[in-house]
Amino acid sequence: MIVNFKDIYKMIGMFIVSFCAVLVSTMFLNYYLDLITVENLITTEVSQIFYEAQCSTSKVVSTVSGGCLLLTTVVLLCFDIRHYVDTRQKQLGVLKALGYTRLTIAGNFRMFGLPVFAGTALGYAFAHLLMPKLYELQNKDGYLPEVPITFHPKLCMALVLLPTIFFSILAILYSYIKLKVPALQLMREQSAYKIVPAKKDTDLPFLQELQRSNVRQKKSLIFFITFAVFCFSAMTQMSFSMDELASRMMSIMVMAIGLVLAVVTLFIATTSVIKANRKTITMMKVFGYSAKECQKAVLSGYRPWAYLGFALGTVYQYTLLKIAVTIIFKDMEGVPDYQFDLPVMLIALAVFLILYEMLMFSYTKKIEQLSVKEIMLD
Amino acid sequence: MIQIKNLHKYYGTKDSKTEVLKGISLEINDGDFVAILGASGSGKSTLLNVISGLEPADAGTVCYNGQNICGMSDGEITLFRKKTIGYVFQQYFLLPNLNVEKNVKMGADLVKNKDYRSLIEAVGLAGKMKKYPHELSGGEQQRVSVARALAKRPKVLYLDEPTGALDEATGRLVLDLICSLKKELAFTMVMVTHNQNIAEMADTVISMNSGKIVTQYQNEHPKSAYQIAW
Ligand SMILES: Nc1ncnc2c1ncn2[C@@H]1O[C@H](COP(=O)(O)OP(=O)(O)OP(=O)(O)O)[C@@H](O)[C@H]1O
Ligand SMILES: [Mg+2]
Repeated sequence: MIVNFKDIYKMIGMFIVSFCAVLVSTMFLNYYLDLITVENLITTEVSQIFYEAQCSTSKVVSTVSGGCLLLTTVVLLCFDIRHYVDTRQKQLGVLKALGYTRLTIAGNFRMFGLPVFAGTALGYAFAHLLMPKLYELQNKDGYLPEVPITFHPKLCMALVLLPTIFFSILAILYSYIKLKVPALQLMREQSAYKIVPAKKDTDLPFLQELQRSNVRQKKSLIFFITFAVFCFSAMTQMSFSMDELASRMMSIMVMAIGLVLAVVTLFIATTSVIKANRKTITMMKVFGYSAKECQKAVLSGYRPWAYLGFALGTVYQYTLLKIAVTIIFKDMEGVPDYQFDLPVMLIALAVFLILYEMLMFSYTKKIEQLSVKEIMLD
Repeated sequence: MIQIKNLHKYYGTKDSKTEVLKGISLEINDGDFVAILGASGSGKSTLLNVISGLEPADAGTVCYNGQNICGMSDGEITLFRKKTIGYVFQQYFLLPNLNVEKNVKMGADLVKNKDYRSLIEAVGLAGKMKKYPHELSGGEQQRVSVARALAKRPKVLYLDEPTGALDEATGRLVLDLICSLKKELAFTMVMVTHNQNIAEMADTVISMNSGKIVTQYQNEHPKSAYQIAW
């Protein structure tokens, strides 16, 4: 009734992220579970060391990437729901005013578990397709006895069913909390604009004023954009470094996931900025502000935060790899010492800049297509 | 001079197409005050939207001083609106995350008008400069919307029921303000209203019915905001 299928199908972000998370986790966890069955077949010392290194890398990869991605999915879900509730406040307010209970309305939000289910299930299935390749690559030097691929039902439970249930419940709980505001306040669309007055009264030009108020009042978006760029920065740089430290397959995978994740989050973040500001943008257009000016006022305020995200991501990946190298590979010989890689960072920065500006440019085009009538009927 | 020729506007898709404007032709001289009357749903707002360039026409032309705005690109029409048009919407459409002062500033900044605060005072909202739209009553929002349009110093001002939510005293105040600014800045004005009495203030009065102009006459002696009955 409130959340229908058409809305859910737009939550492609959650689908993609949960797909990636489960794909990686399943592959490496499955590998780990199969690997430990061959432990007593190991005879030589070289194989033993190799075996232990393999165990710890699979554990680290599945927890780090799985954990990171799980966190991202949680963030995405909350963000999606929040955005959903914010943009449909009027409708929800009317329902509340008519006497629907908070729980009845919140119950509808269980649908938000669907994209997670689709993503995890598909990721799980896909992982099984890729598994033979992974097993072969992991043991390409033949140090280990052949590791057979077995199907682990408990992994299916833990990685597909559990997340689906968890996210459905989270969606209900979160929307329940969000719906706490009185019906009238929802109907007046009041809580979408948590008014945060400027600290001191400024007399800036209107465009700058708008830009500032946007940044001030949409804190969650700031977090989200910073986070997206953070992921992008950390993942791309990490994947380059992994190329030297671990297998090529892993680095490509980390890179692919990082890119998908960052682009998806950035895309969702900017789309919701535009959606949240549709009325404002249209009114500005009516008054004669150009699409470029609208884009600037609405989106430019987030640029410094994006750069901050990039810097944080760089620091994060450096620290993480440094620690990983010292802990995991401390017993192994011949592992190169990990050094900060400036050229890689510059390449990542350049790619990020191009992506970011391209996205902004495409939004300028989108703004040009917003029709006034559409907004007026809203 | 605004020349409107044989304007047509359709809504809906092929199967359920409705013709909302059925061939409207009209000439508006510079500095004129045109009032548009008509039943609800007769196409008044649509006419205003089309001739101000907010919506494309399906047939016909709208010329401002000989320049046809139908067929302009999005960028051109935006620039045209910036230089020429002011608009007061039936539903106000204030920017929800900015206070009254900043909302009016949105119009003022386009023409570098520094004197916009006096307009807010003139519509009787001096004490509410720092309030946000959701903290205002309907009538107060409407007055902000009027101040915002006037702050832009438009050459042509379109008003869709600018006094629909106002009581008599405030309504007269706002109309008087609009008219005195009109005298000062000499802009053209087109106002949609349901109130027959307000139409007596206009130079030209037009009645619409189901997408057509049914009557059109000139007022010999337009009245002021305090002379009309309410
Ligand atoms: N987007 C749309 N799609 C379909 N029909 C529309 C659309 N917009 C307006 N209409 C129809 O066009 C007709 C004219 O609408 P318009 O808003 O111009 O009326 P109006 O004269 O301003 O009425 P009111 O005095 O109630 O504001 C109405 O019958 C309306 O149903
Ligand atoms: Mg109307």
